[in-house]
Amino acid sequence: MNGAIEAPTIEYGQLMPMLLVFGAAVVGVLIEALAPRYLRKAIHVPVTLLSLAGAFALIILQAVRDGVPEQASAMGAIAVDGPALFIWGVILVLAFISMLLINDDDQFVAQAAAVPGSPEEEDAVAQGGAHTEVYPLALFAIGGMLLFSSANDLLIMFVALEVMSLPLYLLCGLARRRRLLSQEASVKYFLLGAFSSGFFLYGMALVYGFAGTVDLGGISSALASVGGQDSLLYIGVALLGVGLFFKIGAAPFQAWKPDVYQGAPTPITALMASGTLVAAFGAVLRVFWVALGNLDWDWRPVMWAVAILTMVVGAILAITQTDIKRMLAYSSIAHAGFLLIGVIATGDAEQNSGSLSGILFYLLTYGITTVGAFAVVTMVRDAGGEAGHLSRWAGLGKRSPLLAGIFAFFLLAFAGIPLTSGFFGKYAVFAPAVSGGALGLVVVGVISSAVAAFFYVRVIVLMFFSEPAADGPTVALPSVGTAAVVTIAAAATVVLGVFPQPVLDLADQAASALFIR
Amino acid sequence: MTTHYLVLSALLFAIGAVGVLVRRNAIVVFMCVELMLNACNLAFVTFARQHGNLDGQLIAFFVMVVAAAEVVVGLAIIVTIFRTRRSASVDDANLLKY
Amino acid sequence: MEPVEIIQHSGGVIGVAWLMIALPLLGAAILLLGGRRTDRWGHLLGVVMSLASFAVAVLAFVELLGMSGDQRRREIELFQFIPGMVDMGLLIDPLSIAFALLITGVGSLIHIYSIGYMSHDPGRRRFFSYLNLFVAAMLLLVLADNYVGLYIGWEGVGLASYLLIGFWQHKPSAATAAQKAFIVNRVGDFGLAIGVFLIWTTFGSVAYGPVFQVAGQAEQGVLTAIGLLLLLGACGKSAQLPLQSWLLDAMEGPTPVSALIHAATMVTAGVYLVVRSGAAFFPVGSTAALVVTVVGVATLLAGAIIGTAKDDIKKGLAGSTMSQIGYMMLGAGLGPVGYVFAIGHLITHGFFKANLFLGAGSIMHAMNDEVDMRKYGGLRKLLPVTFVTFFIGYLAIIGFPLLSGYFTKDGIIETAMHHSPVLGWLAVLGAGITGFYMSRMVFMTFFGQKRWAEDAHPHESPAVMTVPLIILSIGSIFLGGYLVLGNTLANWLAPAVGGPEEPIEFHFVTTPGIATLVLVAIGAAFAWMKYGRAEVPVVAPRGSFVTTFARRDLYGDAINESLLMRPGQWLTRLAVFFDNRGVDGVVNGIAAGIGGTSGRLRRIQTGFARSYALSILFGAAVVAGALLLVGNI
Repeated sequence: MNGAIEAPTIEYGQLMPMLLVFGAAVVGVLIEALAPRYLRKAIHVPVTLLSLAGAFALIILQAVRDGVPEQASAMGAIAVDGPALFIWGVILVLAFISMLLINDDDQFVAQAAAVPGSPEEEDAVAQGGAHTEVYPLALFAIGGMLLFSSANDLLIMFVALEVMSLPLYLLCGLARRRRLLSQEASVKYFLLGAFSSGFFLYGMALVYGFAGTVDLGGISSALASVGGQDSLLYIGVALLGVGLFFKIGAAPFQAWKPDVYQGAPTPITALMASGTLVAAFGAVLRVFWVALGNLDWDWRPVMWAVAILTMVVGAILAITQTDIKRMLAYSSIAHAGFLLIGVIATGDAEQNSGSLSGILFYLLTYGITTVGAFAVVTMVRDAGGEAGHLSRWAGLGKRSPLLAGIFAFFLLAFAGIPLTSGFFGKYAVFAPAVSGGALGLVVVGVISSAVAAFFYVRVIVLMFFSEPAADGPTVALPSVGTAAVVTIAAAATVVLGVFPQPVLDLADQAASALFIR
Repeated sequence: MTTHYLVLSALLFAIGAVGVLVRRNAIVVFMCVELMLNACNLAFVTFARQHGNLDGQLIAFFVMVVAAAEVVVGLAIIVTIFRTRRSASVDDANLLKY
Repeated sequence: MEPVEIIQHSGGVIGVAWLMIALPLLGAAILLLGGRRTDRWGHLLGVVMSLASFAVAVLAFVELLGMSGDQRRREIELFQFIPGMVDMGLLIDPLSIAFALLITGVGSLIHIYSIGYMSHDPGRRRFFSYLNLFVAAMLLLVLADNYVGLYIGWEGVGLASYLLIGFWQHKPSAATAAQKAFIVNRVGDFGLAIGVFLIWTTFGSVAYGPVFQVAGQAEQGVLTAIGLLLLLGACGKSAQLPLQSWLLDAMEGPTPVSALIHAATMVTAGVYLVVRSGAAFFPVGSTAALVVTVVGVATLLAGAIIGTAKDDIKKGLAGSTMSQIGYMMLGAGLGPVGYVFAIGHLITHGFFKANLFLGAGSIMHAMNDEVDMRKYGGLRKLLPVTFVTFFIGYLAIIGFPLLSGYFTKDGIIETAMHHSPVLGWLAVLGAGITGFYMSRMVFMTFFGQKRWAEDAHPHESPAVMTVPLIILSIGSIFLGGYLVLGNTLANWLAPAVGGPEEPIEFHFVTTPGIATLVLVAIGAAFAWMKYGRAEVPVVAPRGSFVTTFARRDLYGDAINESLLMRPGQWLTRLAVFFDNRGVDGVVNGIAAGIGGTSGRLRRIQTGFARSYALSILFGAAVVAGALLLVGNI
């Protein structure tokens, strides 16, 4: 220490995609403050969509022109490596199509502060009020996802976790209809999320106590050099894991998922089910592979148990669900279990990059299909809003065969039927897992897929072979945005199911150099 | 010497966690979560002292800021549900289940 | 002469040959997804996509022409389909491009014709999207460089055919016919699928190149098994005995569909499969090849006999289609010389049969969709263009000298005669019956007295329908001579399927040739006496035992029912009985167990946030405890 503090270097170029999203979010706040009410939406929509598209373009530019950096950026705080670029791309694609869905009118409450059923609410609805705050909130959440998946340091990861989660807590409570459910989802998500981030933070403190640093690379080298690993370290690793498992919805930390997914406005559910899951898996991989890679003999058995429990709980509980969004939530839990198989299947560098590439591909395929499925859910409505109960979906295939057909196709993709993207996603994760010695897990995975296929097919049978209810739901004529989301998702599910090779190659390429430290 | 601080921090964390489980009022539950965060802060500062670097103390500041942000969001949500249900009990919000 | 080696290709038109498949597929996707918004211009898009595909095929054909013979098998890689197992690619060689030209060429004409034919139908856009889907699937079937690609195309055309047969779903007969076609085809497809699996397990690959290279080394028994399984697939798709029953009912679909799918292209897929696999699995003299010829001869006779008794003009033509494909099958079982005539007959048949079907469609259009020929008569003056073109198609199919059918059918008969006189003479007999039933059709429709329904006002069809007829009839006149004389087709196909040792000489005057002509003439004269000169009763007379036999499709359905369906039902009942007791008990038990577990487990999800927090805390404790345990071992 000679008194002179060196100014930190920040590679703005590499961080540009993220900064653009955060910048747009801040601009969004300014719009809320300055623009007249009637103009806000008209300004928000282009700002939001352009910033997401621009960020995506910057990622392409970065990957094509500059290649992947060898070193972590911003003094080692953020790692913009191959997997991070791929995950960013996936998050931005998913966020973009989710935004098209969020953009749809009639999803968000007119005046959140008004008590449901009160005269104030009626006034707000009559005036056509709308919370345009959802745009900057969603942008902050998306920026948080980008940061979360590329954090190379536990502190940044914690901050990113909160930046991602806090706006989502709010967004969950803004549904236009069934507001009691929505608010309940919001409160549950908030309390449990804060609770779990407390665990994450305490785990971080204990790991810091062991390693003397929160840098992922630093923790890794401390693990390699310091002998006699103490109990506090193990507790710390466990608590860090709890925070992350909560975010991906792994059992036994999955309890929030069905309630929140069901209560939240469906477009927000779509964003959470796709973007948050992708970002959380980015963070899981970084923590367990980069920081705790040297400890893999210790965490692997525990994660085996978590993965098995997650797959089984997701698949089995989904069977008796009667609400479509709840069923999709359990399906999302089961899919998180499948992805954990890839996280466990580590080995030498080649094995790791195989597993990583499989996870990356799976995240893309699952995310897109999920957004598509929730988009379909928004379109099937009856008098009280979306027709969530499965019995209301009976005979949908007779009323609107195209929509029901597309939804059936999404469900088949979830089930992993060949010629859908889900098949290659599962294949890409399971195949390296077998060579990585996780055969037992793959067997459980295949069995749970079979159980899961049962309830997907049950919905298909319900839609196509049951008599429609007399006062059944109507299929709303979709807005351009919703129609675009369904089309894009269906097209991607087909294309990735028939021509997966280019994207598989891309994932391979992104995964080839693994994570930088 | 630092062990005492760590024990205290663990106790605070445990009190916070148990408080989340046993208290019904959402505000109190939320305060218990804040207690857990502050237990973490204590642990960070202790470890910073133990390792002789400043990282831990710095992290404590970040945590405070995050906690403050969480308060804003949390109170907003809790107040909204209180206005709707005329109750801040977390057990009353029980429509979403099974 | 052996088939030449397959060469990897890139660049040029052939390099983008996938466009042939992609364009109609895109058309189908736009029309299906676009919904009613595309109603106004949907049919035009369908036609454009089909024509564009045809243009690509022509350009690829020209590029292939520019190469020397031993360079003419080009393979282009597209993508890894199932990593490590199937690489999807296209094989552009003389055989596949000939099919591609036929499919896109005749396909485009039929698209154009359909604009007129379907002009009053509210589902016209949907119709065109299915047609485009069919063209794409059919092209995948013939262009794929491996059996899996062929299989996907195979199922794709099956799907398109199902959708199109049942296009007028509101007619129960159409819906039933579609289902029947689907189910009968399943039997064949099952055989094909098992055959492809067997190829994969035997040779470790499904691509044509590697498989054909090492096919000779496999055991004879395995080769025969594969051959027979592929043949089962071919029988299903090409309506050969014993899987012929669906084709006659398939005529419930709109007439352009009957022309495109059930006459010119899809039903010839079986012939393509046999010829493509010929050298490997159906070599001359093998059991599999013998079965192919027997199936061919049996079907050509059965189809012809069915054709004699049908009063429904489309069903008559359908019987004729069966019969003509029987000829092709016969040729396909006879080695390289047979392949040439089989493919030649396939191409000429594609033209004259499409011509006849579209002619029939034009007549129906004029007669308020009446299909019963007993209610036609004397139409030649009123429908001059239709009459002339139909008549040309008629002359071509009965093998009138120097028209298309004459060259190709006589070629098959003569080759068969060389091979085995029994097969040859039976084929000659078939030609004679063809002469009878086709003449009967022409006389009943265009000659004799008017026997119209009271409200019929026949009128010639619009140009959009007659122009394709004219083009097809020109092909029906000249194509056969062009392909056969001077060995054009033989030389062209040689790189793909192997050629005969010596150039094939076409003899105009041979014993079987003359015998055929005499028999055809007798058949035609008999038809004239019975249907041209004499009065045709409007209601079909009871007829003899033989007539009833033929009218009932040779009791094909009855046989299916008593031999397959009844025992099948009985077996099913037996199986269900055991299933309920044994297998189902276990399955139901598991299902009930999982369901019960699920029902109980979901009660854990109490809805109380605090209980969720407890599960998190509990989980954290367990995870930490487990890690400590593992770490300290």
